[in-house]
Amino acid sequence: MTTTPTRTFKQKLILGLSKLYPMAKRALYRFHGGVFPRYNKELSLSHPLITDFIPKTLVLPLQQHVGVITEPLVTLGDLVLKNQLLANTEKGLAAPIHAPTSGKIVAIEERTLPHASGLSGLSIILESDQKDQAIENSLDVDGSIPEMPDKLKALIHRAGIVGMGGAGFPTFAKIPSQKGQIKYLLINGAECEPFITCDDVLMQTRANDIVQGALIVAQSLGIEHILCGIEDNKGKAIKAMQKAAKDTNVQIKVVVTAYPMGGQTQLTQELTGIELPAHTHAIDVGVLMMNVATFAAIYQAVIHGNPLTSRYVTVSGLGLNHPFNIDARLGSSFKELALLAEPKTPLTYPLIKGGPMMGIEMQSNDVPIIKTTNCILATPPEPMEEPMPCIRCGECMDACPINLLPQQLYWHSRSHEFDKVEELKVFDCIECGCCSFVCPSHIPLVQYYRFAKSEIKHIKQEEATAELAKKRHEFRQERLEREKKEREDRIRAKKEAVKQKAAQKASAETTETEKPKANAAAAAAARAAKARAAKNGKETPPAEPKLSARDRAIAAAKKRTDAASKPTESNTTTPTKKQKDKPKDPKAAAMAAAKKRAAKAAKEKHSTQADATASTETDATDTTDTMKDKRAAAVEAARQKAAEKKRAKQSEQPENDSLETPSVATKPSDETTATPNKASDAKRKAAMAAAKARAKKQQSKTTEEKT
Amino acid sequence: MATIPHTSPFTHNASSVRKVMLQVQIAAFPALMTHIYFFGFGITIQWTLAVLTLIIVETALLKLRNRPVAPYIFDLSGLITVTGIVFCIPPESPWWVIVSGVTFALIFGKHLYGGLGYNPFNPAMLGYAFLLISFPAELTQWTLPSEVSGHHISFIESFHLIFTGQSLNLSFDQLTGATPLDEVKTALAMGVPVTTTLNSTNFNGEQIPYGWAWINVAFFIGGLWMLYKRAIRWQYPVGFLGSLALIAYVFHWIDPDTYAPASFHLLTGGIMLAAFFIITDPVTSSTTPLGRFIYAAGIAVLVYVIRNWGAFPDGIAFGILIMNMFVPLIDQYTQPRVVGYRR
Repeated sequence: MTTTPTRTFKQKLILGLSKLYPMAKRALYRFHGGVFPRYNKELSLSHPLITDFIPKTLVLPLQQHVGVITEPLVTLGDLVLKNQLLANTEKGLAAPIHAPTSGKIVAIEERTLPHASGLSGLSIILESDQKDQAIENSLDVDGSIPEMPDKLKALIHRAGIVGMGGAGFPTFAKIPSQKGQIKYLLINGAECEPFITCDDVLMQTRANDIVQGALIVAQSLGIEHILCGIEDNKGKAIKAMQKAAKDTNVQIKVVVTAYPMGGQTQLTQELTGIELPAHTHAIDVGVLMMNVATFAAIYQAVIHGNPLTSRYVTVSGLGLNHPFNIDARLGSSFKELALLAEPKTPLTYPLIKGGPMMGIEMQSNDVPIIKTTNCILATPPEPMEEPMPCIRCGECMDACPINLLPQQLYWHSRSHEFDKVEELKVFDCIECGCCSFVCPSHIPLVQYYRFAKSEIKHIKQEEATAELAKKRHEFRQERLEREKKEREDRIRAKKEAVKQKAAQKASAETTETEKPKANAAAAAAARAAKARAAKNGKETPPAEPKLSARDRAIAAAKKRTDAASKPTESNTTTPTKKQKDKPKDPKAAAMAAAKKRAAKAAKEKHSTQADATASTETDATDTTDTMKDKRAAAVEAARQKAAEKKRAKQSEQPENDSLETPSVATKPSDETTATPNKASDAKRKAAMAAAKARAKKQQSKTTEEKT
Repeated sequence: MATIPHTSPFTHNASSVRKVMLQVQIAAFPALMTHIYFFGFGITIQWTLAVLTLIIVETALLKLRNRPVAPYIFDLSGLITVTGIVFCIPPESPWWVIVSGVTFALIFGKHLYGGLGYNPFNPAMLGYAFLLISFPAELTQWTLPSEVSGHHISFIESFHLIFTGQSLNLSFDQLTGATPLDEVKTALAMGVPVTTTLNSTNFNGEQIPYGWAWINVAFFIGGLWMLYKRAIRWQYPVGFLGSLALIAYVFHWIDPDTYAPASFHLLTGGIMLAAFFIITDPVTSSTTPLGRFIYAAGIAVLVYVIRNWGAFPDGIAFGILIMNMFVPLIDQYTQPRVVGYRR
């Protein structure tokens, strides 16, 4: 209090009143709501800062930031020095990882991350040699301040600096590329979370780094106003910062101690009066805010060429006898540090990353400190109050710094009315926890909003997928329609042409001779394909008791083919003589003839076109024909036969094969005979199905018979 | 503990529903004392009866609803409901009045909707309205303050009156009479101007009705304490009392013979009880700051309308119940501006 000589009469009045009525303090600051939890900051401040602790093993997750994961640049067994670049990526938004101390890379493997869900991620495991040999100026800087934003951004990127207040967004990406875009550079030294004092200690010990870091950024970006907000419960830090900021244009502004003063929106409003509009970035309204630790890291990178390899971390909590602050190497284990603070009871309970208001309970205590870890909290869990029904008292609404209606958000989240939750602007919720903190019914309100947010995201994603699928389907339908029309047009045109030709020429033989050639090509392709398929694996075992529809169709097609080719004394092996009552309508006869021709042609061309590819097949099928259906059937027949032949040859058991085939084909052929009027149609369909199935099979190249 | 994922925040300001309800109960204490001073011990008997009924009915209903009994009885919300009813009924009304009123309030006003937090209508006012409609005669026979009747009713007498309907030595009619609101209304109907009625002996000669005024003052004091303790929100009493005073002032200024002055309206009937204890029930009232104000002002308008032009002497119960129905609508249209958005 003594460090803030400038208090207006109104502030004094409210402060006096707040002794009588604590909530009067809400009138002392600009943002709405806010709460005044027990801070317990003295716990960790009562013990000196630890700077010389180097753990034996450091676990460095390859992703400690918002964006894409970095790729390791070191391999197993490599000896590395402090500040050496260990991992980086050019694939997207990322911050490189550097070695926090010298030692040996002992593993690059999945390790549990300090994440709420306890998920694991690829990490570099560094075994320290305790020598702490460093590469001086590893970023290779000359100590001059970059004059252009781009240069500063590049350097910050190389130093691996991310937002150290907890967001973890790579800092370089936050900085605009143009000079003069930012009006206010804000230094966030509020540190409003209870228990946490790492920023406080940083300001006390490295005030100069912070101020100089801010001046570097300001100079590089051409920023006029530099404001630093510090809560009035950090007297020493305020003094140190004021001293460091003397004779610079950095203004140290003392703000009221209120949670969540350290939120970007809240502190910006408090320091500048600007209310950050929703759905826009702060830089768009000319505000750039960074945490004190980030500025200190920028200073270290720009002036000394040191990348970000350590950070101040508070190790505190009611469960510790000796809470402290530590200049912790990144990758230090939570558990190790907590044990260093002498827990009152064994650490059987989960540690919390961050403060009590917004912290995350760890699934495992053996997780590493990363660039965004500001606090390890060891508070033995207390029995939870049973949540009571909401009594709509409105405390949550009065506490909400965003001025949302937490109680209505809760109501709709609970009843899964997510459209209403979204209407009530759940995505503007910063999850500060004020509402849950004041709820007399002890409802875990924030948890409901997290649930609603994830559900809404999920629903949106599904909707987008469905929309895409719908569009694709519609597009496909349209395409099929178009193709069909085009085909019909083509056929009609061809028909016309043929008719004209026929009229011109007396004999129709020319067309006859043309046809088999085209068919032959197709047949050859089919043969080749079939051969490949046969090679890929032994097809349907002969004695297979259960047959898929596809297999039956194949068999039926084969059988029909054989039956059709038999009367004309085809050269293939005749597998069956059972089927004698086959209907012989004109169409079928024609087909049979075609099949025969095709088979002959196939045999003739066998040697020359053995390696015909699928493209030939396509070409062949595209070849126009006056009797398309017939031709398709012929192609099928050819395929069947060719395949049969191949198979027969391969298995070297022609007798067996020929005996087995009919037995499996009985059922479909019966059906065919039962409906003679539809026989040819069904046949054609079956054949097509078989062909399709075969093509599929060929593609998948699996040995299983069921696709 | 380990099975339930524990999420932030991990700290709490240690408030609870029970604490809030207890504060409301404590705030009603000065009014209770005043009530006993002016009207005798009848109210303590009524209150005891009400609490007994409450325990039996709540336990039975919680059991029927398969809910844990202890946490929901000890949240003390039922206690606030019955206290509200007890202060509304005449202190010497027969025992079955309070018993049926409390039973109705708890069953139809609270548990049928799902219990605490889910009831759209104020249970106390629902119970009271039920009594008003069902037993109008019993509810208009108010015990007169001792200064008016000249007899200070003893505990035994109250007990007799409540359980037998008979007084030991005095006739019931001597002890009971119309409330000031009734008196003014009846007089008006007979052509007596309001000013004349108010200057009669029953009103201290200073236009302030005996007893009732002081109870209202006691409620006011208790209400201020609740405001300080943040058990209730300022928008309710300010909106309610402010609107009522304004309307009363305007009408009295237009025609003092037909319309009573604002001070009379504010200090008679259950105005202060309603302003600080009844309409402040958060469950059944609007939740947005502006909504609370509109809700409270709406009740004030209805109360004034019913008092002056309605069939009943007082209109608080009906005013509240009617405004309860508008709560969802009010909430919908009074949502505050979210930070970062323009209106």
